Amino acid sequence: MIASSLLILGLFIFPMWNILLKAPQYPDGIGMDIWINKIVGTNPNDIQNINLMNHYVGMDPIPTEMAEFVVFPWVIGIMSAIGLGIGLIRKRKLFLVWFVIMSVLGGIGLYDFYSWEYKYGHNLNPRAPIKVPGQSYQPPVFGYKKILNFEAYSYPSTGAYFLFTGMFGSVVAYFVDKKEEEDDEA
Amino acid sequence: MKLTNYLTLFAVLFAIVGSACTQSNNNNGALGGSAAEKVYVAPGEQDEFYAFLSGGYSGNLTVYGLPSGRLLKEIPVFSQFPTSGYGYSEETQPLLNTSHGFIPWDDLHHPDISQTNGELDGRWIFANGNNTPRIARISLETFETQEIIEIPNSAGNHSSSFITENTEYVVAGTRFSVPVPQRDMSIDEYKSNFKGAVSFVEVNEETGHMDLSFQIMMPGFNYDLGHPGRGESHGWFFFTTYNTEEANTLLEVNASQNDKDFIAAINWKKAEEYIAQGKFTTMKTEYAHNVYDESTHTGTSTMKKEVRVLDPTELPGLVYFLPTPKSPHGVDVDPSGEYIVGAGKLSASLTVHSFSNMMEAIETENFEGEAYGIPILNYENIVAGVVESAGLGPLHTEFDGRGNAYTTFFISSEVVKWELGSWEVIDRKPTYYSVGHLMIPGGNSRKPFGKYVVAMNKITKDRYLPTGPEMEHSAQLYDISGEKMELLLDFPTHGEPHYAAGAPAELIAPRSKKFYELEENNHPYAVKSESETRVERDGKTVHVYMTTIRSHFAPDNIEGIKVGDVVYFHITNLEQDFDVPHGVAMIGANTSELLIMPGQTKTFRWDPDRVGVWPFYCTDFCSALHQEMQGYVRVSPANSNIGLSWSLDGE
Amino acid sequence: MENLIRKITLGLGVLLLCFCTKVEQQDSASLENNTPLGQASVVDEDSEPNILQIAIRSEDHSTLVAAVQAAEIEHILVNAGPLTVFAPVNSAFEALPEGAVEDLLKPENKAKLTGVLTKHAAPGSYDLAGLKKEADRGRRLYMADGSYLTITVEGDDIFVEGAKVIASVQTSNGIVNVVDKVIL
Repeated sequence: MIASSLLILGLFIFPMWNILLKAPQYPDGIGMDIWINKIVGTNPNDIQNINLMNHYVGMDPIPTEMAEFVVFPWVIGIMSAIGLGIGLIRKRKLFLVWFVIMSVLGGIGLYDFYSWEYKYGHNLNPRAPIKVPGQSYQPPVFGYKKILNFEAYSYPSTGAYFLFTGMFGSVVAYFVDKKEEEDDEA
Repeated sequence: MKLTNYLTLFAVLFAIVGSACTQSNNNNGALGGSAAEKVYVAPGEQDEFYAFLSGGYSGNLTVYGLPSGRLLKEIPVFSQFPTSGYGYSEETQPLLNTSHGFIPWDDLHHPDISQTNGELDGRWIFANGNNTPRIARISLETFETQEIIEIPNSAGNHSSSFITENTEYVVAGTRFSVPVPQRDMSIDEYKSNFKGAVSFVEVNEETGHMDLSFQIMMPGFNYDLGHPGRGESHGWFFFTTYNTEEANTLLEVNASQNDKDFIAAINWKKAEEYIAQGKFTTMKTEYAHNVYDESTHTGTSTMKKEVRVLDPTELPGLVYFLPTPKSPHGVDVDPSGEYIVGAGKLSASLTVHSFSNMMEAIETENFEGEAYGIPILNYENIVAGVVESAGLGPLHTEFDGRGNAYTTFFISSEVVKWELGSWEVIDRKPTYYSVGHLMIPGGNSRKPFGKYVVAMNKITKDRYLPTGPEMEHSAQLYDISGEKMELLLDFPTHGEPHYAAGAPAELIAPRSKKFYELEENNHPYAVKSESETRVERDGKTVHVYMTTIRSHFAPDNIEGIKVGDVVYFHITNLEQDFDVPHGVAMIGANTSELLIMPGQTKTFRWDPDRVGVWPFYCTDFCSALHQEMQGYVRVSPANSNIGLSWSLDGE
Repeated sequence: MENLIRKITLGLGVLLLCFCTKVEQQDSASLENNTPLGQASVVDEDSEPNILQIAIRSEDHSTLVAAVQAAEIEHILVNAGPLTVFAPVNSAFEALPEGAVEDLLKPENKAKLTGVLTKHAAPGSYDLAGLKKEADRGRRLYMADGSYLTITVEGDDIFVEGAKVIASVQTSNGIVNVVDKVIL
């Protein structure tokens, strides 16, 4: 359980999610890495280049400040601390409670991600030079989507795998602990 | 016969013809596939070699891919080049400065790629300007000219810009001997009064920066070409001479009299010793040294005032003359460094000297005479072999690294392959027409890449669709991987290629720069964001700090400029993406457009001469809204009191 | 019906053959043979005639032209030059010992023939005045085969290694000096 709590701190060291865009003029692709507290380019100038392309269709620049960038680190930090706490006191049922809370928070996070993407892809400047009727530019939350001439790929990144492993670990911890107790009893 | 029978017959026929067809193709392929296949680089694929061809009187260097013959780039070196604004922009004008002032053109002759331990290292390429003696250094990361040094006491910098095997020096031998120092004297007094300077320009190992280290003041012959010793002969440099008759008129007759001219063997290690011992004189002179700083994106020109001179008639062991028949043109040293090939251009044979023979002759002082105090070695003792009746009008030789040499013959219009050691001709192939130089990538280094040879022809005639009296020259590519050479391709070249240098793509391509880091741009007039853009007045001089990014200039509306002002547009391209240049051009500017690479700043000058509202625009199709990338400058009368203002979208 | 099928079959076969021929790519041997005489293959009716064209047009030089063709050195005579060719007339060849010309024209003597012919060509432009000047200065004439020829002047006549120059023609790529003897 302690390991689980520490694993989710991996989100501070690694990006959580990656969106990669491919097009003929970008054979190697350009992309953004989404962290819990920032969004950076996969390559040094990718954010500038994504913004440059996007401004033609009236999309806002990729934000450098978001409420989530402040809230998420606190949520992860607190959940890690709580996890550490219940790990130390070894209250097995709380492991599951922690897992459920994390899952709910994760769900909220994903929904938040989706709603930001929706806004990012739909909230277009009416003065945009290029208007494609009915076209939105929302990238996928998970998987592949073709947006005009771009192929967009959105997948969890290293940080997210730490998170999943941590969460899964808490469930494993629950059963391992339970088994040990049963063995002791036997 | 039934229908099925006919179908069977057809099937059999098909099979027979089909297999015959395949077989006949295979037969062609027995020599290694068809010519078309060998030069076909499919769309999206890249070439195997870079070839850098001199542009001769274009003043520039062209970059081709081999084997396709695709033109990849024209690099401006000694000539103003409106395509990029080179020599027109305020930043690059200093590069073309000389002691004669701004000279916007030269005759670029002999590119040579930098070497380490006698092998190509692909860092820089050097090129010489023949007319106003200069040497340029071009970066192979940016493919831009970074430095030009003028050569004093020289005239017609032809035997240049060859480098020693660790790029210690790049050399410059004068084609025309002249009075040194220059003075008013009768041309008839040429003989024994004119001098031929051979210059050694030191190259900084780290930065590549050039510094004229010393000159050797040679007799007044014509110094034609040169090549360095390598391996055992490292430390020596060989130059061909003609007009050892020292004629000053109708050279086509008067300079063709001597049965033998010389290859001058210069011991530059010995020269270094003499320099260290202080056995030089310091001569007052004047020459420009121009350096382009990649960090400030700006060139500067400094005038140098002195040069150290060595006198070979006074300094024993510095220079020896190797008698070589009939006005030798090319002097080429084989990969081992042992053989020195002299191509007497009026001779029907090639003379090959042996370096070890030469050293022995020097040691035993086996001299047949002297010229101006410089020992002439005995021809019979130093010659290693003669390639007899190889062709007419030999010019240049390159090597394949497998013991073979390839020589061009201008008059008999052919490339001749012959074997080092046996001096036997192995193969000859015609060229179309009258070949000058030839190039094997690395063909004048310790490690040639002997797969192709490019023959650069002087005469085109009917090889391509006619384009009026003036045509581009023509090059031919031959496969030399087999015993016999195989003609693969014709392709037109730009200007007049005198020589070329080539290197495998993998040596150069990975280090090619994609764009300039905006963060590292230290141009004094650079702006890093649109918020910093502005217009400043200093008396009658106005500086516009402008940026470009898809798809607008900032600012794009400027007012308060007056007739009689001198306006400098300093334009920084804020893009940080591969291959997104922006251009700029202003109506009535007496200069060229500028092409600005991402992260770069360039400046052009505009002298508004009349009242009005004048547009400027982006000259490069940068983006979907390129055509919208434009702006206006309002020019008011000289006495107007309209203040400076600038804006973008009302902000 | 049968005939029709037979025709179709044959037709298809022929088509296939044609196709097969077409896809055969040009190999380098054919690339080199597309102008077998090098620059001498260039068709140009507009420019001033060059040395080779002058020689071909002269009825009195048919033996020389035949020799040049046998040696396959036409392209040298159309080169940018400048070249001075001492062109022996037919009677000069006839004056050679019986069978000498026939012997030289044999394929196995091609190298020897080339040597004889290049001995008649000097790099550079030497018209009558130029030859006189060289003679006055006591210089010998350097020839393309590497040998040197002596020029002598007797009255108005100029001799090159004993061969009298009987005419001099300016061409686009040099000078043809017609001589009455073969220089050996």
